[in-house]
Amino acid sequence: MSDRDQHTEVGHDSHDHADHGGNGKYLLVFAALCILTMGSFLTYFPFWRAHVPYQASRALMMAISCTKAMLVIMFFMHLMWEANWKWVLTIPATFMSVFLMLMLVPDVGWRINNGYARYSEERWVYAADPPKVEASDMKAAEKDLLRKGAN
Amino acid sequence: MSDTHAPKLSYQPALPIPNGKTCLWLFLSTEILFFAGLIGTYIVLRFGAVAWPAPHDVLLSEPLGAFNTFVLICSSVTVVLGFEAAKLNQASKAKGYILLTFLLGCVFLGVKMFEYSHKFEHGIYPVKPHGMLYDKADIYYSGAVRKRLNDLRTQITLAGPEISKENKVRLEIIDQVTRKVDEAETAVRNQPDSPDGIIKLTELAYEIYPPHDQGTVIQAAEAGAIPPAIVVKYAALERPAGEQAIGGGEEHEGYNEKYSWLRLPIMIPGGPMWASTYFLLTGFHAVHVIVGLIVFGLMLFTTLDRSRANLVENVGLYWHFVDLVWIFLFPLLYLF
Repeated sequence: MSDRDQHTEVGHDSHDHADHGGNGKYLLVFAALCILTMGSFLTYFPFWRAHVPYQASRALMMAISCTKAMLVIMFFMHLMWEANWKWVLTIPATFMSVFLMLMLVPDVGWRINNGYARYSEERWVYAADPPKVEASDMKAAEKDLLRKGAN
Repeated sequence: MSDTHAPKLSYQPALPIPNGKTCLWLFLSTEILFFAGLIGTYIVLRFGAVAWPAPHDVLLSEPLGAFNTFVLICSSVTVVLGFEAAKLNQASKAKGYILLTFLLGCVFLGVKMFEYSHKFEHGIYPVKPHGMLYDKADIYYSGAVRKRLNDLRTQITLAGPEISKENKVRLEIIDQVTRKVDEAETAVRNQPDSPDGIIKLTELAYEIYPPHDQGTVIQAAEAGAIPPAIVVKYAALERPAGEQAIGGGEEHEGYNEKYSWLRLPIMIPGGPMWASTYFLLTGFHAVHVIVGLIVFGLMLFTTLDRSRANLVENVGLYWHFVDLVWIFLFPLLYLF
């Protein structure tokens, strides 16, 4: 009983000593989160879309999301000031999540950027209704499209 | 060497934090896996999909999504400020912050409900019979359009022997669309090897619900969901970036938009899959928000002084996690 109380006390203590700058730091993190969100939202505007390739935009958005997530975890969830127990609970879950994602990657890699149609040969072959489109037709349509776009 | 310097070994009976917090962190670690699975599956389905709708095709509003992100960030700040106040034994201040968090959570849910209802109104719904989404304009699609037209016609004729002026106009429009369905289906039947029939069906589908983004039209054509001839036609309608999208102009308003009572089935390549993933991800997130709101609502009836600081901290941790999930959902669902 006393053991538990003692540990609970330790928990409280670690918080009481963890005032690194009062509420100001939370407002600072809030400002950072808002600015980062604006950064992601920039990619919505046509000006941005016209000048930045979408792959770069997506990488930027994911980088911003990870940064925001770290800010929330570190400051709002206080992990920055917690003792080493935090690793016990967060690292396995993070590893499993990353592992889960990686397990899904072969499927993604298998399906996309696989030649012209961006999906696998198998899906072409076994499609319920195989499209009857000649590659030359597509090329012609695209050329036509570009010509019209130029005008 | 004396024994006094030997390390004193003893088992640590618990983590150096309250048991409630340990349990909550364990719960959060399972939640991380839960959402990692959902988001991972979304990524696989989205990037492996033959075609995927542009945000405007499925009536997604990026500014609304960004607004909701902002609302959740604000609520994360208020809950952490509430925790700090509770630690300092400022019960009323803590309760004020929790009330603010509760209200912000309600705003988030309100916006989400508005977004959902807007989509439901247009038949964008994950399952039939409410869902009116079709992947491509084939004979199943034209069959569904014909069924809807017949139902409407029956409704009007069953209303009474005397047809009102308004209903006469409606019947005319129904006949007009029916003629187009007939024409397309006849073309499919008479020339099964020619793409003409499918082109006509696709044109009909785009007259009912025009595409909003040229990129998705090209993508759908590459994937074989629509005939390439359509690409050229709709490319001509494209306006320069920054101006209204294809479907925005008066002359390109679809039947469903012009006559809201029609509610004809709509064709969006990749639409059904999009609806499944979107409603699943945002739905599970919304369920988490609702659970948080219930707890915040109950907390408003307690005194949030120093003795309850642990409670405020635990609920806060959960709420931050909900915010964390949205941080990833917003760009993935609205901006990708």
